[in-house]
Amino acid sequence: MDWSQALRFDGSIITGELIISFAVMILIIALAFVIYFRFRNLSPDKPQKGFNLIVFEAIRGLENFTVDNMGKKWKSFAGYVLGVALYIILCFIIGITGLPNPLVNLTFPLSLGLCTFVLIHFTAARANRLRYFKRYIDPIPVLLPINLLSMWAPLLSLSLRLFGNALAGYCLMSIVYYFTELLSSMIFSFIPSGANQIFLSWIIAPPLHMYFDLFSGAIQTMVFCILTMIWIAQEDPEDEIDELEAQANLLA
Amino acid sequence: MDGLKYIGAALAVLTGFGSGIGEGMICAHAIDGMARNPQMYSKLRTSMIVGCALDETTGIYGLVIAILCLVL
Repeated sequence: MDWSQALRFDGSIITGELIISFAVMILIIALAFVIYFRFRNLSPDKPQKGFNLIVFEAIRGLENFTVDNMGKKWKSFAGYVLGVALYIILCFIIGITGLPNPLVNLTFPLSLGLCTFVLIHFTAARANRLRYFKRYIDPIPVLLPINLLSMWAPLLSLSLRLFGNALAGYCLMSIVYYFTELLSSMIFSFIPSGANQIFLSWIIAPPLHMYFDLFSGAIQTMVFCILTMIWIAQEDPEDEIDELEAQANLLA
Repeated sequence: MDGLKYIGAALAVLTGFGSGIGEGMICAHAIDGMARNPQMYSKLRTSMIVGCALDETTGIYGLVIAILCLVL
């Protein structure tokens, strides 16, 4: 069953993707509150176990990852990265259930890309003050239009990467569901129609869902976070400028 | 004239050609590196996957433009 159509209210702007997006956001906020109230009175020196240990290790790992990519000054930036990463990965995971993945709608990846884009320019403006505007007339002032155009490259690159991956998965899964329903109704044509379409899709679809939603989603989450961190740290570098530039050149 | 947009979509999807070659080269060189220096296996694997994902981007631009050709 195509839930994205079932959830789409005709004539209004409330689409299934919007509902799922808000559900994901509420889930993340609830998780944040649960973790906050659970950890408020804990001391970090004591050994933890169970849920606390998982959260401790995850956050410590993410902080180390951020420090590796951005430098020590940016340790608190792990919060933004954690929020974005949780949102993207949960959106992709929701695609498994058959509910619409919000990233299939260009609005949501574009918003995520816009957050990073604004952060990049805000960081650059804060670090360089008025020298920030020098980048638009960089080698010679004649290049101003070209620089103004190339300014949008990170935004397009980030948002279209997520959008395209989600859309590719969604399109291919739709084709697979259509094809398996057709094939099943051909093979099991002795069963009355309406009940004979359900015999193949549950064998063929799960591995593809695993690739397009879980694997692809995890990789895209990682790429989005790494690019965000590197592009932002590049604008306001510490002493490790050479290392960061080398990484950016490697990835760009 | 309606058929032209299908031709345009097909041409846009041809970006997969370059993207595929690039991905193959990334994998080949990563495996070269792994064979020469097995201690670096895990680091190279991570870089390889990130590189493949970045390389996929060009193909995905083509896909997005193809879909836009068909829809708009």
